[in-house]
Amino acid sequence: MRYLPSSPVEDRALLDTIGVARAEELLAGIPEALRLKRDLDLPTQGSEQEVAWEMMGLANKNTRFCAQFLGAGAYDHFVPSAIDAMVSRQEWFTAYTPYQPEISQGTLQHIFEYQTLICDLAGLDVTNASLYDGGTACVETALMAVRVAKKRNTVLVSRGLHPLYREVLKTNFAPHDDLQLVEVGLKNGVTDLADLQAKLNGDVAAVMVGYPNFLGAVEDLTALAGPVHAAGALLVSVTQEALAFGWLEAPGKAGADMACGEAMSFGNKPTFGGPFLGFLAVKDAHKREIPGRVVGQTKDLEGRTGYVLTLTAREQHIRRDKATSNICSNQGLVALRANIFLQLAGPEGLRGLAEQNAAKAQYLRQRLLELPDMEPVDDPPFFNEFVLRYRGDMAALQEACLAESLLPGLDLGRFYPEYEGCILWCATELHTRRMIESLVEILARVPATV
Amino acid sequence: MFLRQREPLSFDRSVSGKRGMDLPKLDVPEAKDTRPAHLRRSGFDALPELSEVEVIRHFTRLSKWNYGVDDGIYPLGSCTMKHNPRLNEKVAGLPGFTDSHPMAPDALVQGNLEMIYTLQEWLKEITGLPGVTLQPSAGAAGELTGVMLIRAYHVSKGAKRRVILIPDSGHGTNPATAAMAGYEVVELPSLPDGTIAFDDVTDPVNGKVRKGLRTLVSELGTEIAGAMITNPNTVGVFEYRFKEVSDLLHSVGALVYMDGANMNALVGVARPGDFGVDVMHLNLHKTMSTPHGGGGPGAGPVCCGENLMPFLPVPVVVRDTVKVGEGEVPRHSYRWDWKRPQSIGKVHTFYGNFGILVRALTYCLSHGSDGLKEATLRAIVNANYIRARLKGAYALHIDSPSLHEVVFSDTLQAKHDVHTLDIAKRLIDHGYHPPTIYFPLIVPGALMIEPTESEDKGELDAFCDTMLAIAKEAETDAEALHQAPTLAPLRRMDETTAARKPVLRWAKG
Repeated sequence: MRYLPSSPVEDRALLDTIGVARAEELLAGIPEALRLKRDLDLPTQGSEQEVAWEMMGLANKNTRFCAQFLGAGAYDHFVPSAIDAMVSRQEWFTAYTPYQPEISQGTLQHIFEYQTLICDLAGLDVTNASLYDGGTACVETALMAVRVAKKRNTVLVSRGLHPLYREVLKTNFAPHDDLQLVEVGLKNGVTDLADLQAKLNGDVAAVMVGYPNFLGAVEDLTALAGPVHAAGALLVSVTQEALAFGWLEAPGKAGADMACGEAMSFGNKPTFGGPFLGFLAVKDAHKREIPGRVVGQTKDLEGRTGYVLTLTAREQHIRRDKATSNICSNQGLVALRANIFLQLAGPEGLRGLAEQNAAKAQYLRQRLLELPDMEPVDDPPFFNEFVLRYRGDMAALQEACLAESLLPGLDLGRFYPEYEGCILWCATELHTRRMIESLVEILARVPATV
Repeated sequence: MFLRQREPLSFDRSVSGKRGMDLPKLDVPEAKDTRPAHLRRSGFDALPELSEVEVIRHFTRLSKWNYGVDDGIYPLGSCTMKHNPRLNEKVAGLPGFTDSHPMAPDALVQGNLEMIYTLQEWLKEITGLPGVTLQPSAGAAGELTGVMLIRAYHVSKGAKRRVILIPDSGHGTNPATAAMAGYEVVELPSLPDGTIAFDDVTDPVNGKVRKGLRTLVSELGTEIAGAMITNPNTVGVFEYRFKEVSDLLHSVGALVYMDGANMNALVGVARPGDFGVDVMHLNLHKTMSTPHGGGGPGAGPVCCGENLMPFLPVPVVVRDTVKVGEGEVPRHSYRWDWKRPQSIGKVHTFYGNFGILVRALTYCLSHGSDGLKEATLRAIVNANYIRARLKGAYALHIDSPSLHEVVFSDTLQAKHDVHTLDIAKRLIDHGYHPPTIYFPLIVPGALMIEPTESEDKGELDAFCDTMLAIAKEAETDAEALHQAPTLAPLRRMDETTAARKPVLRWAKG
């Protein structure tokens, strides 16, 4: 009962003022026949200590690793201590949506700064207060592209897009008979330009490509922008590892009309896939079509600068079924982590971190290729992930790594039959030379054949 | 007033050469530049250069301009801001949870899978519905998932159906969700008591007739895929004819979606599965005290009946029981089931806002079956206490019994040219976060108050005394109310200019 503050004496006083003998009398509005006549068949309340033990027990049942070489849309990066300390301030985490701007300037100014940073990274003009995650951000972006393009109903999606993002897109396109998702194939690990050109027609609203894509490869947005724009469609870059923005040119400057994806890498841990941080950035001309919350700068009665939720005419509480989207929350606290992270890093920190990621991944690749069973597959430029074919026994590799508390890369066969026997490896700034060397040593001992 | 100093945008404080983060020494060769020249990062326009102490001070100062639940009562009706226990935060931060990778093999994340399974069991018992997915990332995402389940159900029966019925009192997200799921929305009128109208309703002002539920069901029949009904509804009243509504819709093969945003009024007291609901969502940040963080993340699990279970999003967590010797406690293992041919597919990249789900289970375990019911009853008592104390001073537009929240209108104050917004802003001067204002739309000048179970008598009394003082002030000094807030860091914001000439990011001046 530690969370229920009224004492029995106070409760009595409340009930007397209301004029009822028992709290149950206040349920009069619920017909007797619809009420639950028994107690819930669940354990009774636990003390703080008991609950902590039980939850720790669950957390301890997960396997911990010395190093994880698995990325694939969820990246393990260093989280500066200042982030946890700041975000655990109650004024940040116990606040609600900033509906009353006069006493929510903390949240509102933070989101305005976050918006500025996302626009900077994406090289585009306008963004929103964040979306749920990378996959759902793709959905909002694709639907927005269809609205913007008017009368064009096809969205081309590169096979290099995260396979689970593509699944989420499929789910959300299914109810719309008039809309079409069409896949564009890969060649040498990147979007196949010939296939793209063959599928570009007057009905294509947008083309979505990974940047870098799921296989870690850097798509040449500039080269893709030519044919896409010539066909009157929008080029959308989808970034699942936002730290790449410290290494790669901003998508908006490389030819993309819209950029979306996942920014969990800024100050967050993998946490079994969520909460994550979806983002979406667009050009100024499209700002009134953007879904979700947006914060704008304004003045108060006395002319002082402040911030408010704005462009609400696009939203459901005004436009109901004509709204740009049904989204009415954002990932405020995750966005706050990203904001603090980016401000701590600054341009040099972000660039330096990105360079370290690229260096570690290059070193990992080089060392893995020294193993007789590893061989290169495609050879596109990459950031912190890459694909190698493994000629040995995949299960034995997995087992050998796990026995030494290392989590190996992703067995790609599960998502790409054409990459059966291939592994998607990832390295970040968290991987020391020693960890990489242990991995290589362990793999060297795995029996070559089954 | 030191703490009320203006905090500039961090971009304006940036000084070249400062850094708040340092990197480990690079112990491998430097990266070779493999990028095509035109894809090399050319630079940044806004990323500030600041030291760690400056960043910490910046966010600390900004935080002081926010009102949080720990500052006091946060009576946003329908948004439900209850106490956020610290244990939830501590548990969600356990490295066993935060370090776990969503693509890791099932055998390595047994704790996570068991956590998910266990929370699902709690939600099944609480809602009386046998199917659950925890993957939708927010209430609105839950709505969309739920309506897609309805669609998949009809498609599996060989019919698409085109209409979703939604009461005019419903949450704004409901119609937007139905549209996103490919449906046409037909509005159901409400009665003066806020509940769904079965019979046609004639508008007393313009004489227009709006078709009630019975007429719509008989005219649209099998075109109706389902109805989305908020219960308790947005005026805090239980839809007392819910079972009849369900039966009528079921009679034409339509399904019933319950918007469970207000489920915190029913936990332990009534179960949607027992009164005809086919599918519903819950907002865990409301019902289960997970913090809202200034806008999110939330979590919007969906619970459904057996008829909709085949269509649940993939993957679904499955528990296998390992056989052990006689008399021993059975052991369980957990895995994701991805092979579900009738599934609507994926609704989130991975498995939803897992960290929020951890907090929700922690809340459930802390309360237990007994505490959950107690919390519901006390939330209802608190709302009714406020209702009893403010009735008379503020107009009760709808007099039906209130559950967890109570809606007043500003009609008494409007006579003195004082309106809902003035009352809300004056509350700020007294140190309170205002209630939800101007919602639901069916109540003129609505003030929707939801204290939750987290407030003791002292806090409730202080809030009520303030509301009563403001009502008095409306009679004697309306001008003071028009000026409010005068004590907040900022005063009324120019929202019109913000929308007309949007400034949505900082730019180098």
